[in-house]
Amino acid sequence: MASSPAFAGALKLAVDGTPRLDLTRDPKNPLAALPPQFAAKAKRVIYLHMAGAPSQLELFEYKPELVRLDGQDCPASLLAGKRFAFITGVPKLMGPQYPFHQVGESGHWISDRLPHLEKHLDELCFIKSMRTDQFNHAPAQLLVQTGNARLGYPSLGSWVVYGLGTENQNLPGFIVLISGGKTPDGGKQLWGTGFLPSVYQGVQCRSHGEPVLYLNSPKDVTVSERRSVLDAIDELNQQNYAEFGNPETVTRIAQYEMSFRMQMDATDAMDIHKESETTRAKYGSKPGESSFANNCLVARRLAERGVRFIQLYHWGWDSHGSNAGDSLNFGFVKRCQEVDQPIAALLSDLKDRGLLEDTLLVWGGEFGRTSMRENRSGQVTKFTGRDHHPGAFTMWMAGGGVKPGITHGQTDDLGYEIVKDPVEIRDLHATMLHILGFDHHKLNYSFQGLDQKLTSVKPARVVAEILA
Amino acid sequence: MIPWLGDTRARRFLGFTTLVPIMVLLGLVIFAPPDGNERAQFLQFFGRFHPLSVHLPIALLMLAPLFELAGRTRYFPYLLSAVDFVLGLATCGAIVAAALGWLLARNGGFSGPLVTQHMWAGLSVAGAAWLCWILRAKTSTKGGNASGKKLYPAILITTVALVSFAGHRGGQLSQGENYLTEFAPAPIASLLGAGDSGDVPTNSPNGGANTYYGARIQPLLNQHCTTCHRRSKHKSNLRLDSFDAMMRGGKHGPVIKAGEIKGSELLRRVTLPQSDDDFMPPDNRRPLSTTDVKIIERWIAAGASGTVGTDALKDAPPIGATQSTAEAKFEEPDPATVAKERASLAPTVAELQKRFPNVLDYQSRASADLVVTASWMGTKFGDSEMAALGPLSERIVSADFTNTAITEKSASIIASMKHLRALRLMHTKIGDTTVQGLGSLDLLEALNIFETAVTPAALPTLARLPKLQHVYVGETKIVDSASVPQEIRQKLIF
Repeated sequence: MASSPAFAGALKLAVDGTPRLDLTRDPKNPLAALPPQFAAKAKRVIYLHMAGAPSQLELFEYKPELVRLDGQDCPASLLAGKRFAFITGVPKLMGPQYPFHQVGESGHWISDRLPHLEKHLDELCFIKSMRTDQFNHAPAQLLVQTGNARLGYPSLGSWVVYGLGTENQNLPGFIVLISGGKTPDGGKQLWGTGFLPSVYQGVQCRSHGEPVLYLNSPKDVTVSERRSVLDAIDELNQQNYAEFGNPETVTRIAQYEMSFRMQMDATDAMDIHKESETTRAKYGSKPGESSFANNCLVARRLAERGVRFIQLYHWGWDSHGSNAGDSLNFGFVKRCQEVDQPIAALLSDLKDRGLLEDTLLVWGGEFGRTSMRENRSGQVTKFTGRDHHPGAFTMWMAGGGVKPGITHGQTDDLGYEIVKDPVEIRDLHATMLHILGFDHHKLNYSFQGLDQKLTSVKPARVVAEILA
Repeated sequence: MIPWLGDTRARRFLGFTTLVPIMVLLGLVIFAPPDGNERAQFLQFFGRFHPLSVHLPIALLMLAPLFELAGRTRYFPYLLSAVDFVLGLATCGAIVAAALGWLLARNGGFSGPLVTQHMWAGLSVAGAAWLCWILRAKTSTKGGNASGKKLYPAILITTVALVSFAGHRGGQLSQGENYLTEFAPAPIASLLGAGDSGDVPTNSPNGGANTYYGARIQPLLNQHCTTCHRRSKHKSNLRLDSFDAMMRGGKHGPVIKAGEIKGSELLRRVTLPQSDDDFMPPDNRRPLSTTDVKIIERWIAAGASGTVGTDALKDAPPIGATQSTAEAKFEEPDPATVAKERASLAPTVAELQKRFPNVLDYQSRASADLVVTASWMGTKFGDSEMAALGPLSERIVSADFTNTAITEKSASIIASMKHLRALRLMHTKIGDTTVQGLGSLDLLEALNIFETAVTPAALPTLARLPKLQHVYVGETKIVDSASVPQEIRQKLIF
């Protein structure tokens, strides 16, 4: 651990002999902004992760053939060699549970569940052929967020902040906002830093009360007193770093300093009271709640302040049909209402403020849902639902770097298997890094004798078709 | 040397006991050759040790000539006396390997020219090794005879050649014909005649590239089936490397029955549950996808013709999970060129970076253009800080002054940033003067004056900018009305 930065500094050539990206920084400023490898189309990311995996077949994937075959036994060829989380025996095919229609110039299909987002459909770039190899929530979320289904790898946001740093030194470069409910199954590892120095870890901010606990100085401690305490600690840490060279010491110094600076700025950035009544109404935001609406509004405020990577998690999309909350007829309806208006408002605000030009917005879950109705324990469930489906799902992107109003990839008539342009998670990551100005091969960190990278070892492809 | 080995009777006995199994194997190979039918599984179990057992005799047979040569130098004379032992061991090893090989081929359902060649070469190795061993012993003991002395080196060289050939054919059997040459540079590959193995699927009138069979079916078979069912290795006597061969079927009869989805053995095998013994492809190899199955199903249903056109079958799935081929560009900057371009401004940039960390930087590692991000400094960045950017103004291509304290006093500096493509003045105290000063920013594509005091009076200036695409005028005095000049109206975002 201690030797890796020095080693990385000395060795500027990667294994293939090409020059390695020099990401060394002044040890006192590990988050200092660095220019991208080549001119970037986007400077920051807002990632809206719908934990639990929303059903693409009730939102964006319209399959008339599935309407026709609704209620029929699933053909054996669809089941051969497949593993399901809950489906057993021969399930029944299930058509879309909500009516679909086409919208805008792009002619994207959408169900009636997202009436606000619908107005922005021409801004969105759909990937209908996403694929993963994980069919349980935690590993699938880890794969989407860290490029690896196992624990211990740096998250997407950590890699981005490691590569680009952050201009605004008064706020963390990587902020995580969770809208009540529950923490995603993948846990805090989803914004963890893995083997990268921990200064690049995502900072989870609370959506009500103080955004970061214990940020403010204790009562009766003045700013100057606080400053002199920090100066003393800083000096001791600098001595320690000079002696041992452990990057974690630098992380510690940087975090003390950041929390001091954040005392002012973080509270201000998170304070949605500063927004007008009209703006809050547009998002459907109610201050004091822990809601996705509030988080979308905060996300916009953070984007305006130059935060590099803003990660939002919404929850409860696991519509198995095993109870009302986890069903397509009830829970799903509520989830749609919770995200529809805020996402539309976020898109509209970013657009009005010109921020959509250089902000990459990403929406998606960790996998898709089956074309079949779930029949947990071989029974017809009281509510309707679909099982986990890693074979095909839908994500969308918008903003800087992607073509608006297009669809990439295609699934078969049942929305079950990809028939055109499959996109692996590592392809998505390679594409995102490309939009941010990096060749994913070159954004490396030396660890355990390897030039580690977000896209890992399998060949990843930048989805050039969607690049603007 | 061990005394009894020198003894003629003992040697005759040893020579005879090793010759017997070779002769038995010869008989088996002639009278019970591998015929592509699978037999007893427990014999297959032993047979599968064949690939493990071959390496010892190969190594020993390579070692023997090496010992012979090295033993004749003055450094390793003692090696000569070990050759006899090495050859004896090699012979025994070769016999075991050949026997296991026959078990595998005969019972595992292998057949085809590759198998036959490998089998005969392997058996010859055992025979040749035996001969070497006997000749070596004869020539080294009791002064030896003259003809044996001449014959021995020739046979030894032949053995090495045979071992190489048999080993290579074995490698091709297990790894695929073009395993060695697949990634060879083109000149080497053509020198080795790679791709010319005679295993190329026949493109007879039936199954040409513009037929459904040639374009959709054969590629699937090549991907999933022909590793085991091809000309040189046809398990169960079934070949799937051409239309004609496929229609001939295998030892169980035809595998395709035109028009009969249910009666076609091939379709049945690939759609069984994967756990079924009859499931194809076997051994946890990647099964055909549902789309693949559909492609075959539609073809059989439509008459399983070798000549029907690519798009004659309307209900066939679209050309399967095709991958588009567009490629993203990765600019590879030349560090020397970049350094040269930056040379004139680098000292000023470095100085300003020190004064305003994280505000000014190059657009990318490949560029000498500059990007300014002052927004995060908020009101700590004002007109005097702006003035400091003066010397670099012509190199700035993108600037963000959102939330800063700049006022109309900065108008002239902003106006001098002639290469700006994107400018953000959102939520600042600038007004019409600043915007009216932008008239010579010919490259400007996006201007953001959201939440400023700018009025419609500034619009005529903007209307003249040739590259301008978007002007963000929300929360200003500019509102969408008929009075807005038409040429700029569709560029305004309210």
